[in-house]
Amino acid sequence: MIDRAEVWVFWVFAVPLIMASAGVVVARNPVNSAMSLVAAFFFLAGIYVLLTAHLLAFLQVLVYAGAIMVLFLFVIMLLTTGDQDFERTRLKVMQVAGAFGAAGVVAVVVLAVNRLGPMPMSAVPSNFGTVKAVGRLLYTQYLLPFEATSLLLLVAIVGAVVVAKQRI
Amino acid sequence: MRRFLGMVLFAICVPLSMVLLGRAVYWLVAGAEYLATSLGAPPTYGAAIANVILLMLVFVMTTAALLTIGERKWSAMIQNRIGPNRIRVFGNSAGGIFFLAADALKMLTKENINPSQRSRVLYELAPMAAFAPSFALFAVVPVGPAVDSVVNGVRTTVALQVANIDAGLLFVFGIASLAVYGTALAGWASNSKLAILGGVRASSQMISYEVSLGLALVGSMMAYQSLRLEEMVRAQGQLLWGFLPALGFFLQPVGLLVFFVSAFAETKRTPFDLPEGESEIVGYFVEYPGMKFGMLFLAEFIEVVVLAAITAAIFFGGWHPVLFEGWLRENLSPIWFASVCAGAFLTKVLLLCWLQLIVRWTLPRFRFDQIQKLCWKVLLPVALANVFITGALILVDPSLELLGLVGLVEIAAMAVITAAVSRKVEVPAHAHAAAAAVAGH
Repeated sequence: MIDRAEVWVFWVFAVPLIMASAGVVVARNPVNSAMSLVAAFFFLAGIYVLLTAHLLAFLQVLVYAGAIMVLFLFVIMLLTTGDQDFERTRLKVMQVAGAFGAAGVVAVVVLAVNRLGPMPMSAVPSNFGTVKAVGRLLYTQYLLPFEATSLLLLVAIVGAVVVAKQRI
Repeated sequence: MRRFLGMVLFAICVPLSMVLLGRAVYWLVAGAEYLATSLGAPPTYGAAIANVILLMLVFVMTTAALLTIGERKWSAMIQNRIGPNRIRVFGNSAGGIFFLAADALKMLTKENINPSQRSRVLYELAPMAAFAPSFALFAVVPVGPAVDSVVNGVRTTVALQVANIDAGLLFVFGIASLAVYGTALAGWASNSKLAILGGVRASSQMISYEVSLGLALVGSMMAYQSLRLEEMVRAQGQLLWGFLPALGFFLQPVGLLVFFVSAFAETKRTPFDLPEGESEIVGYFVEYPGMKFGMLFLAEFIEVVVLAAITAAIFFGGWHPVLFEGWLRENLSPIWFASVCAGAFLTKVLLLCWLQLIVRWTLPRFRFDQIQKLCWKVLLPVALANVFITGALILVDPSLELLGLVGLVEIAAMAVITAAVSRKVEVPAHAHAAAAAVAGH
């Protein structure tokens, strides 16, 4: 019963996830495209929750859907005025190349999944994915990458201020 | 004198009715659990569904709807008016409650006028995107404690909380940050200059205040050693020096102030109501007719309820009744004690909603640069300093007593500062009575 419910919930998140991801590419209006990306982040967070990675799921929604995409949307809204719908590409070459590329990606994914075969399910430790467990890992084993990333972000902020403001 | 007695009676009746409401909700949740297990569902499924329906739909929705009337009534009192009293049933206006039905009818039957140049899908999506996240936030709020009970011969615990997730506060931040899309899209999709101004103002304001909103709660997370709201509420039951409950209000007064201000900015209500400033740009919902406007409007009141609930849970002891708690625990049966706890929580939520109504009707609107300055130059540094000071104090004294002491000093300092900067306004003695007489009180 519980397994079946999990499968149902998986499809509830998986199908819209694929549709939203397709929407990002297919939508011709940049705002629609950005909103599809937000939806994709949200549904992907649902998949993370099913994998008992609650912390990752919420951080995904908080950082990507809630903060970064808002800024994207903000920029798109302010900078695109009037009808900015992209025209359909008339180039046959591009279409053919795109079709080949898509087919290649699908083939690689199908082959990889087939090669893997059925995976044995392993029990998850009770503290898996909790804030405490992830935090401990981040601040001990992965301390250097963590601090390096924060330094990178600081440099980026300083750079943005320098670029944006001529006189400081 | 009669008026005073009436007020005392009202003040007693509200918590009592909330306790009875809590008892009823416990009874219904246990009943749903019984029904579900009888039908063959796994344990806790029935209780979860009942919690979703009763807490998220019935409680939040009813409170939000009643707040629309409450706000009109309170604004009328503050401005010395009578307020809604034109709709009467059997000659009784019943405090304007009937306006609820009138509003619903009006919104549902209005002509559906849509701007022709709108972005079709997003225009319809925006009210839902504003409405849904505020609801979802209530999922992690612990309304009542867990009670052991035997349902269908199986020992289970029944709690008034939809989801007790490990990263509860992060869920709150994540879902709260999604609320931006409703307003931003409503502004953009209706293709109107005033609406897009409102939408842009709303999104810039909301993403700014999200930062201080998150930082303000870091101190509480450190003090209670958890992000799980249920554990944070439980931790507030411990006593400092044997008598002072370790409420967030005492441990984190600065955190409370910053959180409340930032969350108030997130609800976009009056000191922060630039996105909808009626006197200048009407707002992001200017092009929405009927119930679509109603959803955007109601989303604001749902946010008020949810903000009150989260503040009550983290800073005011959640479901701890605080007063006479030990006596109540000893002399009541577990289920009635739990009901008293739920009643205490609901009463706190109502009080905080009322506080928000008062703030909305007493403070004037900020200017836009003042809003950004308040966020980035006042609240953010204060919240950061609070994080560091709290961390240092907990490191020095893990029993939280030092933190409590500093908290009390901070409260005293805030009181002194408030008293020092408050201005005495001379009101002629007869003016108030005359105004009241004119207004018909």
